[in-house]
Amino acid sequence: MTSPALAVSPSASARKPARFRSLVTKYRVPLSILALCLLPWLLPSKALAVNVLIYGTVAVGYNLLFGYTGLLSFGHAAFVGTGAYITGIAIGQFGVPWYLAVLMGVIGGALLAFVMGALSTRTRGIYFSMVTLALAQLVYYVALQTPSWTGGENGLRGFTVNKINLFGFEINFLDPVNKYYVLMVFAALALWLVSRILNSPFGAAIEAIRENERRARTCGYNVERTKLLSFTLSGTICALGGTMSALHLAFVPLDSLHYLSSGMIVMMTLLGGASSFFGPFIGALVFLVMEDVFSLWTSHWQIIVGSIFVLFVLFLPKGIWGTFLTKVMR
Amino acid sequence: MDTELILMQLFSGVALGAILVITALGLSIIFGMLGVVNFAHGALFMVGAYAGLWVASLTGSFWWGLLVAPIMIGVFGMAIEYVLIRPLYGRSIDDPLLLTFGLSYVLVEGVRIVFGSDGIPFPTPSSLTGVVDLGVGFFPIYRIFVVGVVFLVVVLLWLGLEKTKFGLIVRAGARDPTMMKVLGVDISKVWLLVFGLGVGLASLGGVLSGPMRSVNPEMGALVLAEAFVVTVIGGLGSLVGSIIAGLLVGVVISMTALFAPEMATIVMFALMAIVLLIRPQGLFGKLA
Amino acid sequence: MNAPLLAVNDIGVRFGGFVALQGVTTEFRPGRVTSIIGPNGAGKSTFFNVLSGVLTPSSGSIRFKGDDLKGTKQHEFVHRGIARSYQITNIFPDLSVHENVRVAAQASRSRYNIWTNRNRFTELDAKADAALESVGLVAKRDETAKFLAHGQQRALEIAIALISNPEVLLLDEPTAGMGPEETKEMVALLEKLASERTILLVEHKMKMILGLSDRILVLHHGRLIADGSPRDIQTDPEVRRVYLGQNDGYA
Repeated sequence: MTSPALAVSPSASARKPARFRSLVTKYRVPLSILALCLLPWLLPSKALAVNVLIYGTVAVGYNLLFGYTGLLSFGHAAFVGTGAYITGIAIGQFGVPWYLAVLMGVIGGALLAFVMGALSTRTRGIYFSMVTLALAQLVYYVALQTPSWTGGENGLRGFTVNKINLFGFEINFLDPVNKYYVLMVFAALALWLVSRILNSPFGAAIEAIRENERRARTCGYNVERTKLLSFTLSGTICALGGTMSALHLAFVPLDSLHYLSSGMIVMMTLLGGASSFFGPFIGALVFLVMEDVFSLWTSHWQIIVGSIFVLFVLFLPKGIWGTFLTKVMR
Repeated sequence: MDTELILMQLFSGVALGAILVITALGLSIIFGMLGVVNFAHGALFMVGAYAGLWVASLTGSFWWGLLVAPIMIGVFGMAIEYVLIRPLYGRSIDDPLLLTFGLSYVLVEGVRIVFGSDGIPFPTPSSLTGVVDLGVGFFPIYRIFVVGVVFLVVVLLWLGLEKTKFGLIVRAGARDPTMMKVLGVDISKVWLLVFGLGVGLASLGGVLSGPMRSVNPEMGALVLAEAFVVTVIGGLGSLVGSIIAGLLVGVVISMTALFAPEMATIVMFALMAIVLLIRPQGLFGKLA
Repeated sequence: MNAPLLAVNDIGVRFGGFVALQGVTTEFRPGRVTSIIGPNGAGKSTFFNVLSGVLTPSSGSIRFKGDDLKGTKQHEFVHRGIARSYQITNIFPDLSVHENVRVAAQASRSRYNIWTNRNRFTELDAKADAALESVGLVAKRDETAKFLAHGQQRALEIAIALISNPEVLLLDEPTAGMGPEETKEMVALLEKLASERTILLVEHKMKMILGLSDRILVLHHGRLIADGSPRDIQTDPEVRRVYLGQNDGYA
């Protein structure tokens, strides 16, 4: 097939982007944090910046499973929503301090992810997407049918966090800039965590499973258990995103659990590029900016976003950042 | 609680199940032949319901809507296969799934633009209104009609797959597409027809369910989840599995609704979870 | 005489109504090359799949160093000491050559470590490089695996299988799709490997098998019909009957 001579020449000419890539990879966490610090001053509104922060975190967590393990879940809204609901219920109905409520939301989301993962990783191939979708819809209907806890179809309200105490300092959480930078700490934590996971031996194991499940099994990997761990970690990060969203909005819409919300996470990840660390965050940014811009023109902005997504699947499956890395940097 | 009520509820479960059967069959046929899970299946079910309503209001007859809409949307489905899905063969199995998901967004929003965001009532045709006394109780005529139509379609489908040359090609092609190419069968034409057939079945389900549910742009979302539950329980690609699981799910939903209405939808997903624990490949699915 | 390393007793495999293997009983002793031959559909690949845990036999038992392997999951076979390669090249296509082997090396330990940087495990890097050295791929270590020539990919797959230092190495047609030059290199590699461990080989290239093997098993219609030295097999009437009129190269 490919002669050795042919195989050498492109790698030689591609030395420069390779260096760019390895630099970007090496400093991906500091670079992300720098970008996040600047973000609110580059976007038209602070609220949009907070949304990018939240969904960027969710998409990066999701991509641990989709981009790196190769499992297309359509159920991650369940973890985002559960994280948000638990935080909201803990604050609003039990008066738990906000940081404990965040912790509880994350733990609750992680437990749910473990259970859903244990069920869905039993299945193979295309079943996985269908099963994750259906199990997440189960969570949606449970939330719908328990209005005394969740507010049912009206969503959950009544847990506004006005100010937060941090090492003796009192921060006004209603100020959008303060809110952004407090939540940014969580986003940075999530990015650092995901980066560490990807650099670890486990990160290598999930890539091996994505590349060739059968070979990974033959090498001695317990494929099911590795997938389950990846699923749980990914769901945990998404739950963290959910708790951030609850703190931001002081409201949890029921639709945050719907599979269309899962689909939105998938769309963001793919738009940015599932094969790269930054891709999902860039995808979240682009998706939310598009929503912001198009919804000014028309209430039917989803038809534009949907069409753009279809075109991406057809022509740019590597997404914006993935295509930039492979084509433009050549 | 008297027997009559339970029997009525049981029957209405069968009618609900019949719609699930026809929708899940469409999904399963497409998957069996093309290896594609159609995430736009629910949206196409919804588009089918709207198309039926539109044709019925143009012609003034429900029957034209029932007949024409599935054909119309089936042809539309072929166009989808030809233009959008065909370029994705040979790529990751996730790609057609992602594409059809994006497409469902476009379809739902498209219907909102044309027909508005609010639900539209779909009147039961006058010849099928009312109830009939079957000795054990009164049953709505329309629901009996739905069960009859689905039964007829399933029989026709079975005859078509078992007794015709086209059916032979479909069954053989699902097992070994490359062999079909070697034998000189233009498999891409079969894919086109099968996708159209599957989509046609979804939209027939949409038209039939119109008078039973209200027609709105979001109706496809629940239908998609239901169809997934049915195919996961029955076994993806198994037509017998779709039929039995569809009826089972319909009856279980109805019977739960009788005792604990708020649990009706939840119990369907719980049933799926149990099946996954015991038989991850579905009741009639084969191990990969 | 050595105790058997791997022993199978009355193995049967059925797929629905089709019998793929029936009543196969044999044992393998350490440090030899055993080839398994037979016409297409004889059950060679099924036999390999049973020995490597891919398939659970419908009946019969497998013992490795005296332990019954019943209930042992596929991924545990390599930890026990049984590794394999596949007939169709089976590597991690988008990973680098070095990473292909390194990720296999890491499977024996720290599989669920999500915290430590993988570059800290320098002994795994060294192990991977040693395995690449032994199959002659060190020069290609940083290339993406899918861009290797076919023969090099096959060698890479053997390096992946070797990394666990298995006592039994199952090789399913290591020279499939190779030209004469590549085949020669592979045979040299196999001879080198054979001095250190027990090798089971499925192959179609008769000349190569006769030169390389200490012992040959012949499968036909899922049954073991002959078992002996290459010389015995060449003169076995049953084997001659099965192969009569069939092409020697691709039987």
